Amino acid sequence: MDYPKLVESVPAEKLGPLSDQLLNYILTTKNEGKMPTTLANSMLSKMQHGEIKSAAGVAILLEAAVALEPEKTMAALGEMQLAQLANALKGGM
Amino acid sequence: MAPLKFGIEFVPKEPYWKLAAYAIQAENVGFDNLWVTDHFGNRNVYVTLAAAAIYTNKITFGTGVTNPWMVNPVITAQAIATLNELAPGRVVLGMGAGDKTTLEAVGIEMGKPLAAVKEAIEMFRKLTAGEKVAFQGEVFKAAGAKFNFKPANKIPVYVGAQGPKMLEMAGKIGDGVLINASHPSDIEFAVKAANEGAKQAGKQPSDLDITAYTSFSVNEDPKKAVKAATPVVAFIVAGSPAPVLEKHKIDVSKADELRAALKVGDFPKALAAVTPEMLEAFSISGTPDMCIEKIATLQKIGISQFVVGSPIGTNVKNAIDLIGSKIIPHFK
Repeated sequence: MDYPKLVESVPAEKLGPLSDQLLNYILTTKNEGKMPTTLANSMLSKMQHGEIKSAAGVAILLEAAVALEPEKTMAALGEMQLAQLANALKGGM
Repeated sequence: MAPLKFGIEFVPKEPYWKLAAYAIQAENVGFDNLWVTDHFGNRNVYVTLAAAAIYTNKITFGTGVTNPWMVNPVITAQAIATLNELAPGRVVLGMGAGDKTTLEAVGIEMGKPLAAVKEAIEMFRKLTAGEKVAFQGEVFKAAGAKFNFKPANKIPVYVGAQGPKMLEMAGKIGDGVLINASHPSDIEFAVKAANEGAKQAGKQPSDLDITAYTSFSVNEDPKKAVKAATPVVAFIVAGSPAPVLEKHKIDVSKADELRAALKVGDFPKALAAVTPEMLEAFSISGTPDMCIEKIATLQKIGISQFVVGSPIGTNVKNAIDLIGSKIIPHFK
């Protein structure tokens, strides 16, 4: 799935709150074993450089959150009224 | 009064990427120091610190604490010196006597803790200064160990201490002392002992980073903060001898009840046995304002660094944000 392309549909003002929510799911997950190392390292690099709330940062978080906590992630997208993104993800799953 | 430094403790029970993410977050909200615990049951402390080194830019970090027994001090010095290449000038060694139960689990007999810590630190300092180590100590012997490389800077050493003799020695030989306590009376006792040691060594008070390494839990809802602190306090109480409990006016029979419950794995019963007196004695928990008041008391007693140790809060990410937005600014 092309996560950077999918995140293009997220309005700029929602990138920050979405980043916070996804990061919270990622850090509290019990499914740590499902986290690909390359994705983890990309996430850390974005955090280190202050880019985790950018579109590129959110794309990485979204990919990780879908891998670790798919149901919570879909629910959060619904609550944040990001139906287009949620539908695109469903279509790709 | 100098600005209080803030440190944060992480236990590598979780994968490196979670701890590195928390480390980045802690650095961003203003923490000065990061301490990672060393226990063979968890992830390796040095590998975890290496990840933190790579993904952070300015926070100082170290072992919180390692011990002289589990690996030879030469290898400890080698690991810390190598970390210092990943993050020059941001690395410290935290060394304490170790935990008897943990060491016994791997067949290590803990003898002469004062001598072991002193000699391990002596070896560390010589090796990281590029010198040859050759001595016959009470615990360690070396016949000419030397590194093929030399760290570019002096690496500070913090001594983890609780008892009066170790505290005094920490003041004498350490660049810092890590006091594993949360209650003002315990911290006051420790600060006096460490300062006495520093005085004997001819040091100025500013030469010693006196660090309160606490069990900490913050939440806007004080009940949630206490709930998060309760399991940690239960284990502290279970490991505390009767004189320590009596000093804090803790009902020893309650502590026995708690120990018995933990022994058979009855955690609900153990947690129910934790009293407000136990929480007060062995943790700092509550709202940001409640925590600020308690931290300010410790600062007046003479600490120069405050470490938020486990559990930190119900949700670590949220707790770090709360500490960064409401507590740290109060002391800067």
